[in-house]
Order: sequence, then C-alpha cells, then structure tokens
Amino acid sequence: MLNYSLKRLASAVPTLLILITVAFFLIRIAPGGPFDSEKALPPEIEANLEAKYQLDDPLVVQYVRYLGDILMFDFGPSFHYRDWTVNELIAQGAPVSFTLGAIALVLAMLFGTTIGVWAALKQNTVADYATMSIAMIGISVPNFVMAPLLVLAFAIGLGWLPAGGWDGSVSRMVLPSIALALPMIAYIARITRGSMIEVLHSDFIRTARAKGLPEREVLVRHALKPALLPVISYLGPAAAAILTGSVVIERIFTIPGIGSHFVQGALNRDYTLVMGVVIFYGVLIIVLNYLVDLVYAWLDPRIRYDN
Amino acid sequence: MPVVRRLLLTLALVLLPVAGLPADGPVIHRGLGPSPDTLDIHRAQGLSAFNLLRDLHEGLLTRDPHGRPVPGMASAWSVSEDGRTWRFELDPAARWSDGAPIVAADFVRGVARAREPGTASPTVGWLAPIERVEAPDPATVVFELAHPVPWFEELLTLPVAFPYPPAGRAVSSGAFRLVEQVPGSVFRLERNPYFRAVDSVAPAAVTWHVTEEPSAELARFRAGELHATETVPPGRIDWLREQLGEALRISPYLGSFYLVYNLRQPKFAAPELRQALSLAIDRSLLTERVLGAGELPATRLVPPGLDGWPDETRDRDYRSDVERARALLRRAGHPGGRGLDVELRFNSSLAHRRMAVAVAAMWKQQLGVRTRLVNEEWKVFVTNRRHGRITEIVRGGWIADWADPANFLDNFHSASPLNYAFLSDAELDRLLDAARALRGPARLETLLAAEDRLLDRHAIIPLYYYVSRHLVDPRLSGWEDNVMDIHLSRWLDLED
Repeated sequence: MLNYSLKRLASAVPTLLILITVAFFLIRIAPGGPFDSEKALPPEIEANLEAKYQLDDPLVVQYVRYLGDILMFDFGPSFHYRDWTVNELIAQGAPVSFTLGAIALVLAMLFGTTIGVWAALKQNTVADYATMSIAMIGISVPNFVMAPLLVLAFAIGLGWLPAGGWDGSVSRMVLPSIALALPMIAYIARITRGSMIEVLHSDFIRTARAKGLPEREVLVRHALKPALLPVISYLGPAAAAILTGSVVIERIFTIPGIGSHFVQGALNRDYTLVMGVVIFYGVLIIVLNYLVDLVYAWLDPRIRYDN
Repeated sequence: MPVVRRLLLTLALVLLPVAGLPADGPVIHRGLGPSPDTLDIHRAQGLSAFNLLRDLHEGLLTRDPHGRPVPGMASAWSVSEDGRTWRFELDPAARWSDGAPIVAADFVRGVARAREPGTASPTVGWLAPIERVEAPDPATVVFELAHPVPWFEELLTLPVAFPYPPAGRAVSSGAFRLVEQVPGSVFRLERNPYFRAVDSVAPAAVTWHVTEEPSAELARFRAGELHATETVPPGRIDWLREQLGEALRISPYLGSFYLVYNLRQPKFAAPELRQALSLAIDRSLLTERVLGAGELPATRLVPPGLDGWPDETRDRDYRSDVERARALLRRAGHPGGRGLDVELRFNSSLAHRRMAVAVAAMWKQQLGVRTRLVNEEWKVFVTNRRHGRITEIVRGGWIADWADPANFLDNFHSASPLNYAFLSDAELDRLLDAARALRGPARLETLLAAEDRLLDRHAIIPLYYYVSRHLVDPRLSGWEDNVMDIHLSRWLDLED
C-alpha cells in the first residue's frame, strides 16, 4: 500500500510541471496585456509598469524566475488587483470556494446515494422510472440555467433567501450550493442505482439472503459497500466538476471565491493571478485524485496488488 | 449560562450591522460594477474605483447631487486675469479620517507623488497643464498652469488631484472611511466622523457590492438587497419598465458612440465612400428598435448637455439618406456596392453585437456592401484597435472625463494616442491647438469649427449618445440623474 501511494505521488510532480509550463506560455501568447485599456497609457508609464512587474525581461527569463518564486510559495503581486498579492487573493478566496464545494459534495453524496439505492430497490417500477427521468433532466440542465431559476423562485419570487453575495452566513450558502450540487446528485443517483442493481443480483447477496439475514442487514452490511465503489471513483471527477461548476456559480451569485478570480483574471490578463489559480486547481485535483485512488485501493484489494 | 449570554451578545453584534440598524442613519447598499483595480488615488483608473474613491476622499472641489463641481476642501478660490494662476483657500474644518488637519502641503505631495515615475500613474496625464503647485501657507494652495484650462475646476474633483497623506498614514479625506474590503465581493464604508461636513451626511454606512454580471445585479436589486445598481442588463428595458416602474432611471450621459475608419487602409481613401456608409445608416431605427434603452441618435461627436454647446439633437432627421449614399458610392467607384466589402470589429457585448448586425444589414440592403463582423474579447480588441494593423472599421466611443467638448475632440488630434482613425489633418490640429490658448465663446466657436472639420473628413460615423441606466430604490432620496452620472453616497438618504 505504501509503495503504491509513493509511486502515485511521484507521478504528480511532472504532471504539475507540464501544467505550469503550458499555462504560463499560453496566457502570455493571448493578445493584449494586463495594462491595456480603453484609454491607452502613455508609453513611459507603460514602460514603468512593465519594469515594476518585471515584464520587460525575455519570456524564458520570466519563466525561470517564476518557477523559482513558486518553489518559495510566492505567486507574486496581482496585476489587476494592485493592492493585493496572489497569495492573499487565494487565501481569501479558497476558504469560500472550499466551503461551497464541500457543502455541495456532501449534499450530492447524501441525496445522490439515497435516491440511487431507493430507485434500485424499486427497480422497474413507476417510482424508479420517474426518479431516473428527473435525474436525467438534472444532468442535462446546465447549472447556469438552473442557478438563475433558483434565484427567480426562492430569492425574487418567495423572498426566502438572498440572491447573491457572501458573508459566511448559512442563508447565502443555500442557493449556490444547491445549484452546484444538483447535477451531481442526479449523476450519483444514476451511478448508485446501476451498481446497486448489479450487486443485488450477485451470488454473495443471494447467499446472504439464503442464510436468512433480514433484508435491511443484507443491504447495509453486504450490498452498500461494493455498490458504492463506482461512486467513490466518481469523486475525483466530481471534485473537478465542482471546481469548474463553481466558476459559473460564483459569478452568478457574486461569490468571492477562486472561481470568479479565475474568470476575471483571464479576462484582465492578470498573468500572476491566473497562474496562481491554475496551480492551485492543479494541485487540488491531483491531490483529490490521489486520495480517491487510495480509498479505492483500500476498498478493493485487487488494485493495490496489481500495481 | 454566561457562555450562552456571551454567545447571544456576540451574535447580536455580528448581526446588527448586517441588518442595517445603527441608530444614527441608514446603511445604503450600492452596486459597484466590476471589481476596482486599486484604491490608490494615483493608480486607479476604472469607473468603479473612481466611484469608491469619491466616497472615501475629497478634492479641493467635489460634485453636488447634480454632478456639478462645488466647493470641497477649498472654501474659496480665485483665478488670475490670464487664467493661469489659481489660488485656493482651504476649509479650516478639513480633516483626515484620523482627525489630523489637512494642509496645503498634502495637495503638493499628491501632485508630486502622481508624477513620480515609480507611481506609474495612468491618469497623471490629466495633470499635464499644471506647471507648478505651491503651498505658500498651510491654508493656501496655488497652481500655476501652462495655459488656461477651462475644465480646471472639474479636474480637481478627480482622484489624481486629491490630497495625499504623509507617508505611513493610511487615512482618507472623504465623507466615508473604509472598514473592510473583500476583493471581488464587497467594500464596507462607514461615515467618517472627522469629515468637514459630517453633519450633512445621512448614511451611517455604505456597502458597495462588486457586481461583475449585470443580470446578477438585477436579481439582487429585485430581491431587495441593493438600493441602487451600477447598470441595467441591455435589451430588457421595456420589460424592466413594466416590472420596476419608477425604479428604472434612464438619463442622458456625456458619452458618444461611433464607428471609426482606419484611414491607413487604402480602401477607405475616398471620402465619398466613407460618407456613403454613414448616410446609409438609419440612426432612429438603430436607437429605437435595436438598442431601445433611450439612447439618442447622433450625427455629431460631442453630446448635448455641455454649457454653451449647441444642442443638435432637436428637430433633426436621423433616418438614412439612401439616394445620396448610393450616388456617393457610385462616385467612389463602387456602384451598387460592387467590389467593396468591409470589416466591422467590436468588443464582446450584447449591445455592440446588436448594433453591428443592424449596421451590417443596412449597408447590405441599402448599398449592397458586404460586411464581415468580427467580435473580439476586450483586451484583444483594444490592442488591435490601438495598433491599427488589421482593423478596418472599429467600434469607438468616449465617455467624458470632464464636461468639455475638447475632451472628445482632442482624441482626433494627429498626436493623440487615442486617434484610432489615424487621422492626420493639419487644419483640425490647428483648430484644436488654437482652442487651447482661447477662453469663453471664442474657444467654443473654435472647437465647434474643429468638430465640423472632423465630420467633414468623415473619419468617424457617429451613431448615438449614451444614456446612464440605473435601478434606484424609490425610497432612496438624493439620487439626481445627471450627465456625468456621478452620485456621491454622501448626498443619499433612505426613507422608511
């Protein structure tokens, strides 16, 4: 197990380096720079700014210096938010995005698996078909459609919840986390149903039932764990879905998380902020996938032995 | 028990400001628009940063609810006969937000810092006419100008001319002071107890909410979370008027929208061609049917609403003159639009896209000219427009920095970095240069001649004048629509 986990960890380093390199040069190739605006700056001011942010060196020199800086965990000053460093912006945005993402993930797991198991038990009944049809709609409707609908109904129509903003209060978390979780609830429900049906038809469940175990015991003790395996392996992609989803959701609900910095940073050509967020996302996805692999290996011994 | 009590007390303290209940005035929630770049008075340049800075700081002059310049930190001033020496007496009540008095040296320090190369101030160019600024005594500021500047009073209401505190003191000089800022989210301001006119400031606090998406801002206004929005999403004006009635505030704005020919392109060499394309556009149709947010059709550059400037918007025909346009195009060597296709480039925006599609359709239907529409992301667009290597016809526009026609016209001086037409016209340059040395009606006449000259050259196609668009809670008083679209929070109040 240790051997396996170390091997997986070592492969993360080159992945990250490739990510950094590609992102660094891609954003620099994009036309327009951080200081371009409607009213063109006088050339001497532009030169001052470029000198201040060390943009006047050759690109390769900047790249090498950047690699050195990030080894020291210094992501540099933001080019757009002149009063802030990228470290400060990420430190401020990360807890917000994490909170939102974590709530959404918990909601998705809780409701997704429950609905999935229930549908599996009612296999091929009206209830099953109805639930799965709704789930299909949940998967197909993108969250940038779902989110404004939720706002329209619960913030503007009923006036129960705020339409946006973030101050750490629960009421402001409800709509964005539901909007973020909905497609995942649907997806997890479908996965759970499928694998639960498969497990329920397997020999060891038949054996458990033949031994006279109560149905409840059969489900909870024997069927649930193997049925959840595909759900666990979906958690890696799910985390990525939360990250990309939050980019949209954070903008719709004006939430000051990493996602909105990512979009705004790219539009503003805020090189350092975009790089900071890319690295942050990269590390996060790599770590989450790594954890999922570990959990998976723990749940299914065949995996750790094969490797 | 004490623990519970302490918890409840803390909870009450936390909830109080959110609920907007401080006894001595309302908390006003305003939409800010995009996240401001910085709160440094010399480095800021976006509209949203300026709105915040006008609440946090004050200059020698400030703006009244109608957007007109009025005394700020200066209680009185005089200007010399030649218009080049301005002498300001400071209001003795002027204080920094820590209670220390504001002195003339703070203004001298401000100009000096703006001009330091290390500051890299994008707006320092506005101070160019200032030759010298001095503080003969702590209560007097004297400016020596290189030439008379008719908009000097307005210039002093801009952040780049605000006083700057001595090093190491994070203080502000305006009606409010900053309590908290979360980038990309909110800026919380509270009333500055040391503000020189604090008794006239009704709001106990102002919270500016960053609103990158106009539709999200609209939702928050409809849910009762904002008292005033920065803008209104385009294209839904009728629906909004029906839904929100008197909350919708649309009013003329000192801004002009036009298309610009890149005169470096050989295909635009013939003035007849440039005029023909302009004549083929039905501006009434464009503003009423396509944009529909109250924009005023335009055939000139400088918008109405400036003192002493003729208002050309009344009793004019803004429909197209197709017959003349066809004749001109024929004379330019393109009968029926033959052999002519043009490219129209604009930055991504729903309003611009609608405009571009409509203009292209008019050119095609009326003149037979084919148009390629090129939609570019903002940074790409401004870069291409500035270089002028690949552009043909680009979207142009200008929002006044101060209420003066030269602010619009100087952009077409051959030496201006904002001359996207790459127009080089000796007569226009001569008129603009001459106006700089003049004052009063003679200056306006010269500028009017300059505008005529610019339009005669057909370097631009004026389309419409901007309007400002806001949603304002009917309970919010002190919000007066004005052509500068400047609304300081200190004039606002919230009625129960």
